[in-house]
Amino acid sequence: MNRDDLAKRILDLLTEIAPDVEASSVIPGIDFRDQFDFDSMDTLNFAIALHRELGVEVPETDYSQLASLDKCVGYLESRVT
Amino acid sequence: MRAAIAAAMSRSKREIPHYYLSTAVDVTVATEWLAVHNASVPVTGRLLFAALLVKALALTCRDNPGFSGYHRDGRYEESPAVHVGVAVALRGGGLVAPALMDTADKPLAQLMDEFRALVSRARAGRLRASELAAPTIILTSLGEATVDAVFPIIQPPQVAIVGAGAVAARPWVVDGQVVPRQVLTLSLGADHRVTDGRLGAQFLAKLAQRLVDPGSL
Repeated sequence: MNRDDLAKRILDLLTEIAPDVEASSVIPGIDFRDQFDFDSMDTLNFAIALHRELGVEVPETDYSQLASLDKCVGYLESRVT
Repeated sequence: MRAAIAAAMSRSKREIPHYYLSTAVDVTVATEWLAVHNASVPVTGRLLFAALLVKALALTCRDNPGFSGYHRDGRYEESPAVHVGVAVALRGGGLVAPALMDTADKPLAQLMDEFRALVSRARAGRLRASELAAPTIILTSLGEATVDAVFPIIQPPQVAIVGAGAVAARPWVVDGQVVPRQVLTLSLGADHRVTDGRLGAQFLAKLAQRLVDPGSL
């Protein structure tokens, strides 16, 4: 999967677990928490969705690397086949 | 929604003689227990600290009457079952506090699953009216907003509400030494028509004890 496809896939998952977030409004370089009050429940749901849809199990200690769209792409790029 | 919240809170402040108590709790053991647990289970089995809080609160309510029930028509009635309402902030503004039904009787894993589903439904606007009416007490956890403590307002006809601030590293005295510990400030807003500060203090102390022994949850 190339970076653009991966980013789109992540956005799809993000708006699936947070249906009150508009995909078009997500700014890649800004943390989800600062953009739309992403909280620990959202992060957990996001980690579950990543595991289910992309087969990547993100340990809790790596949650900070999922904080923004850019960070997600960077973290998941080498882990998604 | 803002008008509905304002009306409910105005009624609360008009009718309920609130008193407030707070206590700081060293929850290092609970956070460490959680980290070990979460590293040892699949991602779907991970727990949030809030789940520990919800369960601890429910068990505390079961053992300490006067905080979980309804005040209606001039009298208080303790609820036989504890339904902890969890305050959920909505991204568009406002908040709702649907109930996790029979909170005290469920294992943590089941509570966590139901908690996740409840928050998802709340944010998707798909709560059932019964879930909004059911809470016998509410937990409002503003920990993620990095505030130290919450001074919560009771939602009538309930008679108590518990607030949780952020869990954060603080200087703490252990055996005469100042050491960094993970500390949480719990607060209680309760109704003087039903209980007083002495009972409230016991309630908070029992809740704090539950949290320092997460294995008992």
